[in-house]
Amino acid sequence: MKSKSVYKVPDGKLLKIFIDYNYRKLLINKIKITGDFFAYPEESIEWIENELINTSIKKEVLQNKIDTIIEKNNIDFIGLNSEGLVEGILRCLR
Amino acid sequence: MKEEWRLLTTENKTAYSNMAIDRAVLVANSKGIVPPTVRFFSWSPPAISIGYFQSLEEEIDLDYCKMVGVDYVRRITGGGAVFHEKELTYSIVIAESHPQIPKNIIDSYKRICGAIIRGLEDLGIESNYFPINDILTNHKKISGNAQTRKSRTVLQHGTILMDVNVEKMFSILRVPDEKIKDKLIKDVKERVTSIKHILDSDVCFSEVADSMRKGFEEEFNIKLVNGVLTDEEINLAESFERECFSAKEWNHRR
Repeated sequence: MKSKSVYKVPDGKLLKIFIDYNYRKLLINKIKITGDFFAYPEESIEWIENELINTSIKKEVLQNKIDTIIEKNNIDFIGLNSEGLVEGILRCLR
Repeated sequence: MKEEWRLLTTENKTAYSNMAIDRAVLVANSKGIVPPTVRFFSWSPPAISIGYFQSLEEEIDLDYCKMVGVDYVRRITGGGAVFHEKELTYSIVIAESHPQIPKNIIDSYKRICGAIIRGLEDLGIESNYFPINDILTNHKKISGNAQTRKSRTVLQHGTILMDVNVEKMFSILRVPDEKIKDKLIKDVKERVTSIKHILDSDVCFSEVADSMRKGFEEEFNIKLVNGVLTDEEINLAESFERECFSAKEWNHRR
């Protein structure tokens, strides 16, 4: 099932997320994270998109996974943060 | 003696060429082949650039762009969509380790914007840096900026609006809801300004470039020396233009 969310990160930029997910199991099949934010290095958004495939769309699971990727790869966000990403993904279900 | 940086002036280039030159200079500087470089440039035909992470079709009405002869290109920097028409665009490429460049990204935005603020001051316009990436005058945006760091090298580019046509801008940029388009145009008119609006007179590219040159020289206590692209940069820029910035795979990747 395909869905999209548009979410203004508090004190940040406008995040637009597109997902294709398994409706019954609530798993991400594919995700595209777009918006006018900044991420250093830029490739990090693609790393996150790839690592989120087959991830359960649950707040704690997403938060843990994204925080781990950020820490492991020394990713700096400007106008975005991991909480914003999680909220944006969860809003795709509404 | 003051440190010398290179100044490039390349007016009226295509969007693909402009983005390719910035990337070529970034590569050349990261290899230590060329000094820190400031470039002033403009766009012909007019173009929209979108941020690295933006979705092209989500942001831009591509059919309308083609109809009115506006090019579009994805930048290597993050940030938002920008309509480049009557403006001076600057870019600076400099090693991350250069003592003049703060390690912290926001601090480095502020530092580089300091040069633009001084340049605007030379034109008689008072302005301030507004985090993350804007310069405001009388609470209105006059300059937007975007930075990337690759191969331990900083590239920051940004616009300095000489004039602005908000209606045209909004015909090209996609608006989530057509019904609120008029309100959006009104809002943006209240939030965006230009050198022409403030000074109430036309300014030309070279006048703005002269002031920005002073701005960079004062802010960084350096001398800008007029230069040209090296042969290697020209070759690199041509291949980036062909293989990346004018290619569908790049521009439509998101």
